[in-house]
Amino acid sequence: MRPMSARPVPPVLRWVLPLAVGALLLAAWWIASATGQFPRGTVPSPEAVARGFGAEARSGRLVDDIVASLYRVGFGFVGAVLVAVPLGLVLGRFALARAAILPWVNFFRTLSPIAWIPFAIIWFGIGDPPALFIIFLATFFQITLATVGATATVPRVHYRVADDLGLRGAAVLFEVTLPAILPQLMVALRVAIGVAWMVVVAAEMIAVRSGLGFLIIDARNALRMDLVVVGMITIGAIGIALDALFAWLGRAPMMRWGSER
Amino acid sequence: MTAPMLALHGLGFAYGATPVLQDLELEVAAGELVACVGPSGCGKSTLLALLGGHLRPTRGTVVRAGASRTIYQDGGLFPWLTVAANVALGVPRTVDAATRAARVGDWLAKSHLAEFADHYPHQLSGGMRQRVELGRALVAETDLLLLDEPFSALDYQTRLRMRRELAATLAARPRTVVLVTHDIEEAVQLADRIVVLGPRPASVRTVLTLPPGRPRAPTDPGVAAATQTILEELGLS
Repeated sequence: MRPMSARPVPPVLRWVLPLAVGALLLAAWWIASATGQFPRGTVPSPEAVARGFGAEARSGRLVDDIVASLYRVGFGFVGAVLVAVPLGLVLGRFALARAAILPWVNFFRTLSPIAWIPFAIIWFGIGDPPALFIIFLATFFQITLATVGATATVPRVHYRVADDLGLRGAAVLFEVTLPAILPQLMVALRVAIGVAWMVVVAAEMIAVRSGLGFLIIDARNALRMDLVVVGMITIGAIGIALDALFAWLGRAPMMRWGSER
Repeated sequence: MTAPMLALHGLGFAYGATPVLQDLELEVAAGELVACVGPSGCGKSTLLALLGGHLRPTRGTVVRAGASRTIYQDGGLFPWLTVAANVALGVPRTVDAATRAARVGDWLAKSHLAEFADHYPHQLSGGMRQRVELGRALVAETDLLLLDEPFSALDYQTRLRMRRELAATLAARPRTVVLVTHDIEEAVQLADRIVVLGPRPASVRTVLTLPPGRPRAPTDPGVAAATQTILEELGLS
């Protein structure tokens, strides 16, 4: 990543500054809570949240919930990538197929995945399948669209070279088009994994009895606002970790040309 | 004379209603280097795409006596592959992996690029990139090379050096070459014959045959005379 302003931020400050802001927020929260600024029952104290973290971690529930949510996001997202990328490559190469299908990809992309929840439950019952279905839908259409868009930017010279080198058909799609769009695709996947993570929480509030979304809805039902905050902090932290993972993947040697050329 | 490596008869091409090339007649003999020069935008790159079989003529025919490899001004290498992997792609797919690796290794050593085998194209200088691209074409043992402004993006000194290298490579292992360039000096230094194209829709204005011995020095009086003739033909003198 290139710094946005001319003068780069020293590496140490990249850690120190956000931690300082976090400490400031925590201090404000703690002071407001200790001096009774929040009406009773509306905002839990930092101590209560810390105790909640400890209890959830010790009982093993927190880890179970994290694993359950990551599992759903992982499978739903990988499933979407496995179908959307080949479809996007084909649509990107064939103008007629693109003309026929792309408007519908766009149509479904603008539908909030949450709107599918009633169907998800009726079709797939309860448990993991409806949640996986929702994650799939939330990411499938946007990954397809991103793949098509990136495919359109591949220089014609690459295809002529591939032709000279004797590459034909699927070999062109997977040995030329796919690596050529990979840097752009990684950016799109990084956005999509964020969306998938956001959506899994919503999906888990409805049809399952595990996961971080369920943790939050279950805690609300018991009026345990401290555990709601435990769920929120965990979700945010894992969201940042997923984003960092995809940013790191995007710096692989075979993709580096995308940002350095 | 043996059958030509490449023959164009009544070749014409139009993008929709816009004619680009008209009525081109040309035969290129095996081992010959023919340069095509013309004003920019006259359709030189379109011509090369037709010769390479990447575009279909709207009129006339292109007959090639074998496969061809095209080398581009810039961006012809696959940026996601290393130098070695790019060159390896040039070796025909029927060749087994060990022979392929040996051929790539040989070529890298010969071109003094062995230490850059694991570099990516964006990490190389422009001259090195063109050398790699040339290598990818040469490891194929293809007899017909099509060069689309191959040295235009390079600085003057590198360009001169690359022309000498190309001439030496062709002397060691003759191939048929069509070189498209806007650089008249380049054409006169390297070519056996020079085809001067007119403005769009381009057709052959004149064909110049040069005395043997390439590369010719830029300061050679014969080079100056030929350059003068071409400049007159293009209305630039």
